[in-house]
Amino acid sequence: MERSGQEAPVSADPATKLTTDVVITHEDIDRAHDRERVFAARARHGIFSRLRLLWLLVGPGILVMLGENDGPSMLSYAATGSRFGIGFFIPFVVLTFFMALVVQEMTVRLGSATHRGHAELIFDRFGPFWGWFSMIDLGVGNFLTLITEFIAIRAGLGFFGVPPWAAILGALAVLYLALVTHRYWTWERITLAAAVFNLVFVPVALLAQPNWGSVGHAITTWMPLPGGLTKDTLLILLADIGATVTPWMLFFQQSATVDKGLTRGDVRFGRIDTALGAALAATAAVATILATAPLFAHHMTAENFQAAEFAQALQPLIGRFGASLFALGIVEAGMVACITISTSSAYAFGEVAHKPHSLNLPLKEGKPFYFVLFLCAVAAGAIVLIPGLPLVYVVLVVNVIAVLAMPPALVFLFMLANDREIMGDLVSPAWINVLAASVVIFLTLAGILFGISVVAPNAFAFITGK
Amino acid sequence: MRTENQGRGSPVSPDQELVLSSLELDQLAAVRKQPIPRRRLRGFEKVLLWSLRIYVLFMITVVIYQVLAGAR
Repeated sequence: MERSGQEAPVSADPATKLTTDVVITHEDIDRAHDRERVFAARARHGIFSRLRLLWLLVGPGILVMLGENDGPSMLSYAATGSRFGIGFFIPFVVLTFFMALVVQEMTVRLGSATHRGHAELIFDRFGPFWGWFSMIDLGVGNFLTLITEFIAIRAGLGFFGVPPWAAILGALAVLYLALVTHRYWTWERITLAAAVFNLVFVPVALLAQPNWGSVGHAITTWMPLPGGLTKDTLLILLADIGATVTPWMLFFQQSATVDKGLTRGDVRFGRIDTALGAALAATAAVATILATAPLFAHHMTAENFQAAEFAQALQPLIGRFGASLFALGIVEAGMVACITISTSSAYAFGEVAHKPHSLNLPLKEGKPFYFVLFLCAVAAGAIVLIPGLPLVYVVLVVNVIAVLAMPPALVFLFMLANDREIMGDLVSPAWINVLAASVVIFLTLAGILFGISVVAPNAFAFITGK
Repeated sequence: MRTENQGRGSPVSPDQELVLSSLELDQLAAVRKQPIPRRRLRGFEKVLLWSLRIYVLFMITVVIYQVLAGAR
């Protein structure tokens, strides 16, 4: 039956083994068409066939990494550049993407080995308590994050004079267009095309004319760190970690890997996809720091800047064109995250509620899936239009939830990736476990530190002595 | 194996052939509906999950504190 890889050792009820009673669905047929193209490309030899195979198999990794370079994340990088300039944070941000790569690689193996989403695996393997906890945790976190994405879209388009209602309606229209064909493949390609636009921050950085000598010095020495290690520096460190590794990424990439139909034989390409995504996202993040570093050099306070304010502040330094690109970049970051995060919520809901969950589903068969997807997006968009809403406060709560929710998500990811019963020969090897355990411990400590900073802000001043 | 609109005993359609030749058994939507058996936890794993429960209480407290502090 299979043409690549071995049969997964996932032990679903043996009674469901292939019989004449197993019904194939529209979703299966669409996925089979996608797999046919992969088999055809794999059967050929030569560099172009390899490239075509890569083209067919990339998607979830790039999307998750560029999706996490969302509106608030790009603003976090912009704030980092404007407050600390070119120095410690450039290699640090690259390191956070390496951590993201280590974590996300596990989701590729899990999805390819089990053909189950992350929420579904937690529910089945660890019971309903943790299943529903993960679902609710993800749902609340995702919904609040979606609000911040619409804030970014509204603020970015506000730079061009677009009224808030038009900005939100436009974003919802793009979300609808990505889904209208009810095909995973089409959705993935449309979203990828939008996601690559995240690299618009690279020309903005070039317009800022960074001192490349300083960039090289920062990368090799991790210096300077203006002001040293203070409470504020620690908070920025944690914010940058939170901007790179978040729970929705785990759920999204695993579900997308399953929906795309990747199998054990595709894991190598799944890893390349994820590494490519991490490299692209790190490039965009570093470019954003470089783009706003001139604000630091000109001693401009940008601590609480929003999207449009950053663009306005940069305008005298990089010109109207550069500032416009920056604002468009924020819009794109919010838009792509809006698509991926709402899809991640819908996937997780379908997995835990045992409803059909695939972007290959026709509207008739996937009503609950599409309903959840749109409901999240429309409700979040509507909230952003409420006058006088404390948007900065919402962003703060989102950060708290995202960072605090990471430790449980990481523990389950680590346990699942080491679960031989479901992973078979794709179980984490020792060297990945050492790497992954280090990242899990580091991120868990970061989450706890962030929690302490919220409850007892003075504790950080005590720790750092500043 | 049948498509959704096909009765038992019907001949194999091109779509069915395609699915049969292209997808692994565990990739079929109908098979994926079946739950995977619960994991038997060892001692250390039980301790870990109880630690997580305590962490979740800490986390919920922090979030509620943050929300209330922000509301003030």
